[in-house]
Amino acid sequence: MTAATEPVLEARDLRRTYGRHKVLNGVSFAVRPGELVGIVGENGAGKSTLLKILAGELRPDTGDVLLRGGAGYCPQLPVLNEALSVQQHLDYFAAAYALHDLSYADALVQKLAFSQYRAARVGALSGGTRQKLNLTLALMHRPGLLLLDEPYQGFDWETYLRFWDLALDCRAQGVAVLVISHLLFERERFDRIAHLRGGRIEEYRP
Amino acid sequence: MRASALRGLLPGHAVSAAAPVEATAATSGTRVAGRYRTALKALLIEQGRNHTALLLLVGFVPLWYGLMVVLVPADAVAFRFRVTGQFLQVNGQQLSLITAGLNAITLIVGFVLFSATRRGMAFDRRLALAGYPRGTLLWAKLTALTLVSAAVALYASVVLLAFWRPGGLLLIFAGCFCAALTYGAFGFLLGVLVRGELEGFFLVIMLSLMDAFLQNPIGNPAANKDLLAYFPTFAPTQLAVAGGFTSAFPDRYIGLALAWAAAFALLGSLIFAVRTRIAGRRTANARPPAAINLGG
Repeated sequence: MTAATEPVLEARDLRRTYGRHKVLNGVSFAVRPGELVGIVGENGAGKSTLLKILAGELRPDTGDVLLRGGAGYCPQLPVLNEALSVQQHLDYFAAAYALHDLSYADALVQKLAFSQYRAARVGALSGGTRQKLNLTLALMHRPGLLLLDEPYQGFDWETYLRFWDLALDCRAQGVAVLVISHLLFERERFDRIAHLRGGRIEEYRP
Repeated sequence: MRASALRGLLPGHAVSAAAPVEATAATSGTRVAGRYRTALKALLIEQGRNHTALLLLVGFVPLWYGLMVVLVPADAVAFRFRVTGQFLQVNGQQLSLITAGLNAITLIVGFVLFSATRRGMAFDRRLALAGYPRGTLLWAKLTALTLVSAAVALYASVVLLAFWRPGGLLLIFAGCFCAALTYGAFGFLLGVLVRGELEGFFLVIMLSLMDAFLQNPIGNPAANKDLLAYFPTFAPTQLAVAGGFTSAFPDRYIGLALAWAAAFALLGSLIFAVRTRIAGRRTANARPPAAINLGG
C-alpha cells in the first residue's frame, strides 16, 4: 500500500459503554484521502459518542483511532463567541492551529461568500453566516479529514449549496470528508454510506 | 482526577490533537507569548462588550454611594479594627460608603466573570481541541480577571471621591481590588462549575450580600464576632477601614485578602482543566495535504 492511499482515519474496534448500555460495540472502519463518507444512524444509535471519540473529545473504553494529516471538527451547532468578530475568530483559531498566515482561511471566507462580514460581531450574524464561520474554523488549517456533525441542520439553502461546492472541492483535492447524520440527502454524492446500528457499522456502497 | 486532566497546563506544553505543525520557524517561546496575547486580547474585548456590566458600573456604583449619603446618618459607630484589636469610633455614613462600595464591586465583578466563563466553556473546549494550550488559555483568563478587577476597583475608588475624601485612598483601592479579585475568582469558579445561569447569579448575590452586610456594624451590631474573619470581604474591609480612618498600613491583611481569591482561582483552574481536557488520539506523522485550490 502506498502512502497516498493509506487511510487518513482508522477506527479500530471502538467500544464505549455507559452504565450497562453498550453504545459502541466494536466499531471499525477506515476513510481514505479524497473519500466522501456518510455514517447514518437513528437517534440513540451512538452517533454523537462515535463523533466525540473521532474528534478527540472522548476516550473509548477500548479501541483506537489513528489519524494521518490532522482532522477538522465542525460541530452541529456553531460553537462561536458572540462578542468577537469573524476576523477575531480567524485570528484566535490561527493561533490555536499555529498557522503562519490566514491565506487559506481567507480563501475559505471568499469561497463561502461572507467576506463582507469579517468585521461584524458574531452576535449580529445570521444563522447561515454563523454556520459558514463554524465550517471555516474546522477547515482553515487544511486538515486531511473533515468531520461534520449533522451538517444540514441549521443550513439555509444558500449555505447548503456552498457547502456541497466546498465539500466536493475538498474531495477533489484529496481531503476526506466524513458526515455523521440521522438523515443523508443526495446519497449519490457519497463514495460510501455506512449505517450505525446496534453499536456496529454496517457498510455498503450507494 | 486523572493526571491527563493536567496535561498541557504549563505554558508551552500543548496537547495538540488536531493541528499539523506548521509554524516551524517560530520558536516555542514566541508562539506561547503570541497565543497568550491573542487570548488576552479576545477576553478583554469580550469584557469590554459586556454592556450590562458597564451600565451597572456607571449607574449602580454612584447610586449605591449616593443612597448611603442620603439615608445613613453620620453618627459614630464602633468598628472592631482587627489590626490593632481596638474598637474604632467611626463615622457610620463613611463606613457604609466603604461596605456599599465593596458590595457593588463584588456583585458586578462576580456577575461579569461568571457569565463570561460559563458562556465561553464550549468555545474554550473547541479551542483546546484545535490545539490551543489550555495552560495559556488559563493564564490569559487569570490575567483578564486581574485587569478587570483592577479597573473596576480603580473606578469605584475614584467615584468614591465625589462623596468622601478619605486620607488613605491607596488602601481603600487595595481593599476594593482584593474584594473584586476574590469575587471575580468566585465567579470564574462558578462559571466552570455551575450549569444554569440562574444558580450562578443567585450564588454570587447571596454570598456578596451576606458577606458585605455582616462586616458592617450598622447592619450587624455584632460585627465583632471572630467568625467574621473567615468571610471573603473581611480582610478587604479591614484594609479599606485602615485607609479611611487610621494611619495604619496592615500589609499582612493584603495577603489574607488575596488568600480567598487564590483559593477560588485555584479550584476554578482545576475544574477548568478537567472540563477542557482532550481525550486525544493517535496521530501518525504524515505531511498535511498540499494547499487546497479553492478557485473555480
